[in-house]
Amino acid sequence: MDFSLQPDSPEISAFRQEVRAWLAENMKGSEHLRWSGNWSTRENAEEYKFRRALAGKLGAKRWLFPTYPVKYGGAGMSLDHQFVLETEIDKYGLSLGSVFYTLSRLVAPALMKFGTEEQKAEFLPPMMGGELAVWQVLTEPQGGSDVANCQTKAIRDGDDYIVNGQKVLVGHHLPPDFLWTFVCTNPAGKRHENLGWLYIPATLPGITIQHMHLMMGIKNAIFFDNVRVPAKYLVGGENNGWKVANSYLELEHGGGGSVAEHPLFARLIAHCQRTNFDGESLMEDQDVRDVLAEMLIDLDVQRLMGLRNFWHRYVKQPHSYGGPQFLFLQRMVRLRNAERVQKICGYDALNPDDSVHEVADFEYTVRSGPGWLHGGGTLDTDRLIIARRLGLGRPSQEDAPTTV
Amino acid sequence: MDLKLNDDQNMMKKVAADFLKAEAPSHVITDWYQKKIAHLPEIYKKTAGVGWLGMTLPDEFGGGGSSATDCGVVFEELGRGPLPGPFFSCGVLAAQILLDGGSAAQQKAWLPKICDGSAIVIPALSDDPIQFGPKSVATRATKSASGFTLSGTKRYVQDGDAASHFICAARTDSGGVILALVDRQAPGVAVKAVSGFMIGAAEVSFTNVAVGADALIGALDEGWPVVLAALTKALPILCAYQVGACQEIFEMTNEYTRTRVVFGQPIGRFQRVQDHCVDISIHLDGARWITYETLWKLDSGIAATAGAHQSKAVASEAYYQSCHFAHMVFAGAGTDYKHPLMAHSVLAHALYQYLGTPLFHKRAMIDAMYPRKTA
Ligand SMILES: Cc1cc2nc3c(=O)[nH]c(=O)nc-3n(C[C@H](O)[C@H](O)[C@H](O)COP(=O)(O)OP(=O)(O)OC[C@H]3O[C@@H](n4cnc5c(N)ncnc54)[C@H](O)[C@@H]3O)c2cc1C
Repeated sequence: MDFSLQPDSPEISAFRQEVRAWLAENMKGSEHLRWSGNWSTRENAEEYKFRRALAGKLGAKRWLFPTYPVKYGGAGMSLDHQFVLETEIDKYGLSLGSVFYTLSRLVAPALMKFGTEEQKAEFLPPMMGGELAVWQVLTEPQGGSDVANCQTKAIRDGDDYIVNGQKVLVGHHLPPDFLWTFVCTNPAGKRHENLGWLYIPATLPGITIQHMHLMMGIKNAIFFDNVRVPAKYLVGGENNGWKVANSYLELEHGGGGSVAEHPLFARLIAHCQRTNFDGESLMEDQDVRDVLAEMLIDLDVQRLMGLRNFWHRYVKQPHSYGGPQFLFLQRMVRLRNAERVQKICGYDALNPDDSVHEVADFEYTVRSGPGWLHGGGTLDTDRLIIARRLGLGRPSQEDAPTTV
Repeated sequence: MDLKLNDDQNMMKKVAADFLKAEAPSHVITDWYQKKIAHLPEIYKKTAGVGWLGMTLPDEFGGGGSSATDCGVVFEELGRGPLPGPFFSCGVLAAQILLDGGSAAQQKAWLPKICDGSAIVIPALSDDPIQFGPKSVATRATKSASGFTLSGTKRYVQDGDAASHFICAARTDSGGVILALVDRQAPGVAVKAVSGFMIGAAEVSFTNVAVGADALIGALDEGWPVVLAALTKALPILCAYQVGACQEIFEMTNEYTRTRVVFGQPIGRFQRVQDHCVDISIHLDGARWITYETLWKLDSGIAATAGAHQSKAVASEAYYQSCHFAHMVFAGAGTDYKHPLMAHSVLAHALYQYLGTPLFHKRAMIDAMYPRKTA
């Protein structure tokens, strides 16, 4: 076993220098900006503009999706190159997967695996070029856990699908370009065999988007009223949506893993070092130290599970229950850390601090506990999936879908 | 033994429930919380009319002369809302501080005004964002010719923005704590609402604020024992408010498990969802019985210091955790600020801190029961 990252080969080392120099150059003018999370709950227009432009530039360099084929807008590079890009941009507090608020990182792999040649040629280059904001549009008001019970109907009419229905809890505060939408293509069909994915241009007539104000910022309800979507936008074939969903949702559900370090802990330590009570730094307070110790253990376990899943994904040996296990753990750790941060920082943990990146902000951390219990499933459905993958109480175990 | 409410209490409970239904139905309260409206002057006045401000104060000051339990019963209903406003901070805690520590003249001047709602007196005790207790008082009180000059900033004063007056805890040169009544309009007092994942807190700063010697509540440097004595009587009533909040969360969550159908069945059929509800029930009932036993002790003349601390620890934790478990059940819908759970969620985070965290009160409880040798 070897947990260390290998030293860069000469080629990779040169690439790292190139990326560093490029980022130093292109991150100029951002010094005063403090990034918000995957999507903003701060709604800072200047920050968004900068990030979006940066995504465009990274995309033009083909560095957003470096390992994807050149013809679709990738760079055909190795995983080592991707590592370099991920780790170098991480130093600025950003991640390659969400330079700006788009879920392309999830949608592109699904298109790669299930799209036709024509669809890939049309959809992927602008997505990989960082030009598009794509929303993931799955959840419906009658229940997000039962994804297969999709009531948004897409009925074939000549060269189009006519879409009617409602989605909730999707997107963010700025308008999208495309909606990666789960639909029911055959209302009379059997469960799991009546579904499809439509890649819908968000500007089509009949689409109404309404803000919802959530604990984690703005999400939206989307109403589809007789929206005519060209049939060529159906990805994965008619009534095949469940299969697409399965492999692609595994990515959202933790199967992709993660190599990033969470910036929260370092910030908390810094806060404790410079905050005094009764003449002593919080770092000297035994209660604070006990809480920090527990938090560190949780974060390390979480980091290692992320690392493990990341490794499994790239050696193409999916871990059977690793994805949902990681997701479940993340939810619980967020919830515990929310209270821990409050124990250590008190009321300050409830008061946003815009001078730091959002993901390291204490108030964001506190809200993220209860507020992020449910993105992409719930604690309960995570456990349900883990149980199936383990074959608890069943003679056979369910395999993890291969992630794309 | 008789663990049920008496007829009068049942009546008070119903009056309070009806009041809420008429004046502050759930969707209205939800809207106030989303807009961070923490004080409704008109509603506050009306509650004075019903006799809920200074309920436990003697008649001679305009109070209701009610028992702690009676007051708890009413506050439990208000917590179900959760009705925002300085009902507890002024109507219970400040009133108790003045009753316990105030001079006859101060009692006569202030208690009737608290009871009729014409003065809103808010305790501004801790300066620290985390800690409570005498060490958390950092605002300085420097001796002046006619009294004291106060300087310092209380970063988070619950209901601070509703105040007409403050009871400011400050540290004198000799290291003791005084309590001083300060007019909000006095030169040098500034109040700034704090936004964030909380409600009702404001930053209150005192910049060379002059107070006369007659503004002192209690003896010189003996302010904190007055606070402590008042907290013993007041905290259980705040806890009753939190019990009511947990009760409301419990009921709305249980109801949702019957009406929300996912995978073709009411979600309450899923054992995992049942587990979340069972967890809420344990937090709720734990907080309820610890709180009401303490209220009973107060009414029966039994020492209740440890019980008051215990109640605050248990009830604040129960409220906080009940919200989390309810969030697990309501999932996405419950994180929408239009959902009634969000009002509770925001408030529970603030009350977790208010007047000391659960950790602080657990320690105070055990210290009260088994004093440390090195105290
Ligand atoms: C911050 C945030 C971001 C989100 N972003 C997106 C997005 O970008 N795109 C998108 O499409 N959706 C998004 N969602 C929606 C999210 O995917 C759903 O909230 C989630 O799938 C749960 O669905 P629900 O809220 O409808 O809960 P429900 O499905 O109604 O569940 C209610 C309760 O029943 C339980 N339950 C349901 N089925 C079972 C079962 N079989 N066994 C045990 N318990 C069960 C649940 O665990 C929960 O406790 C987001 C949600 C949040 C909070």
